[in-house]
Amino acid sequence: MSFVKRLTLLSTQHLRRENLPLLIKGNERYFGFCPALLQRFVEPDRENVANIKRKQIEEQNKVLEIQRKSELDNAKAQVSTSDVSVPVIKSEKTGYNELEESFSPFRYVYPEFLPDPKLEWRNRIREKMERIDMLKRRSNIEIPEFYVGTIMKVSVSDKYAIGKTNEFLGICIERGGCGLRAFFTLRNVIDGQGVEIRYEMYNPIIQSIQVIRLEKRLDECLRYLRDCPLEYSTFPMNMQPELKNPDALVPINTTLVRIKPKPWTVKWHLLDYRGIENLYDQISEKWEYKRWAAARICKGSDSNEFDLMKIYRETIPADEQTQIFSEISPELAKLTQTLKKQKRKRTFTKPQKSV
Amino acid sequence: MNQSRLTHLISTLPLKVRPKHRKFGNIEGLFGRLKMLRKTVTALVRYERIELNRFRADEARPYAERLISEALRYGDTHQPTMKLANFWLEDQSLIPKLFKVLSPRYQEWPAGLPYTRMLRAPSSASPDGSYESYERTVIELRGNPYPPLPGPVNTSVNPGLIHNVLLEEARKDYYNSQSKITQQAEQEINALPEIDNAHIDNVDDPVQIEEAQEVVTTTPMTKG
Repeated sequence: MSFVKRLTLLSTQHLRRENLPLLIKGNERYFGFCPALLQRFVEPDRENVANIKRKQIEEQNKVLEIQRKSELDNAKAQVSTSDVSVPVIKSEKTGYNELEESFSPFRYVYPEFLPDPKLEWRNRIREKMERIDMLKRRSNIEIPEFYVGTIMKVSVSDKYAIGKTNEFLGICIERGGCGLRAFFTLRNVIDGQGVEIRYEMYNPIIQSIQVIRLEKRLDECLRYLRDCPLEYSTFPMNMQPELKNPDALVPINTTLVRIKPKPWTVKWHLLDYRGIENLYDQISEKWEYKRWAAARICKGSDSNEFDLMKIYRETIPADEQTQIFSEISPELAKLTQTLKKQKRKRTFTKPQKSV
Repeated sequence: MNQSRLTHLISTLPLKVRPKHRKFGNIEGLFGRLKMLRKTVTALVRYERIELNRFRADEARPYAERLISEALRYGDTHQPTMKLANFWLEDQSLIPKLFKVLSPRYQEWPAGLPYTRMLRAPSSASPDGSYESYERTVIELRGNPYPPLPGPVNTSVNPGLIHNVLLEEARKDYYNSQSKITQQAEQEINALPEIDNAHIDNVDDPVQIEEAQEVVTTTPMTKG
């Protein structure tokens, strides 16, 4: 199909000569017949437009300002300057913001207490009941603070295992789920074979969750380790827990991982990962480059950053978060105390068979 | 994976948010849709009252509210909000309007009241009479200096429905009970001694009945 024919299919707005700076010449090879992509890489020159219209808008704003000023506003202004003795009534908002600030870090440590933001699946009663059950489970077992990238050891009850327990140590690759369905996967390499196990945090089968090394990584999901050399996923099973200062910030492990050459299990180059070093070296062909550029536009940072309603639909608002965490925080405080007491008191007595 | 996003702290919108966004069939995809809505948002901020088609207004409304709530929450000096305002307001001169004019206006705003208001406007007649896209709406920022628009028309409640009839009667009873005369009457009634009108003499107690029978047998009727 000819270049001209392609253009006529799409709108011609993007193709005005004035709008295109000289920068494009280098990329025309890739974007010449996809003006939509081209337009994205061009920043429209808005400054001149603003300069031309600025005076009009300033005048309009002035008119609006004059109309806005009512007699009441003038009276308010007078009162504020003259009556110094009148007590300043703080709006409820300031108090609310303090509450929010105090509970905002909870969302990183207890993300599974926040419900799934999908509107069709919201059910306040079910969420509240789940939270009660989650707290009950947490009173029996200590579920520690962990992030994607922490090395953890989990022991699970298994009726077919020697000693009836099964232990596994690995790096946390991903973490998700809401409520009692919360899960995390651990990855390790055993006898040259990569193994990933997904554990449900509130499953009563789990006997203990122990954090060996608490740290974060550059990404929220480390599934790309499947396509990396096995050195990056091996951790000795007899690692001892590394005790660190609990008040210190969680350290971020900034190691960059080298990915193996293609073929990959997933098209990592189309997703936004910061922890891979040589990812874009693997792209050699023109069609791959275009697909990558298109993916960056479609799922790219701009719509993620600026699409206010997309963000809104994917987050639980701050007021709801504070409400949830203020409900559970006194219970959580009690739990830490009881668990500490249990640790000190715990004495194992083997059950005796009665004749 | 399906957990809520933790990167942003946002205020609740007092609007009913639809679960899915409307696509508008834009050839540029997600970003093209944003550019289209950006025009509406800048026009709203500039003119404070605009008339446009129904679905475009309905999509742009929560974006405008979110923008204002972000400006309120974080203020002038926060870098990401400045970037947001720079993106959403195509005219650079509207950014100070957002922070200096609209922010103080909505600072002490009653909770649950949206910053915008959407009303149906007279629509152009379509041959079918069924084209929803021709429905015009007016969307305005509350507190604007223009003369107020009349409220929504034809939203009266059907008084013939049974639940409305019962509610109306209940309302009447309540209001009647609140008047002073009825309250006085109630007090007087409560002050009266209790008369058990349902009680019939010599019926409830078995002992009394027997006595009555005995009395009846011993005293025969005599005529003078």
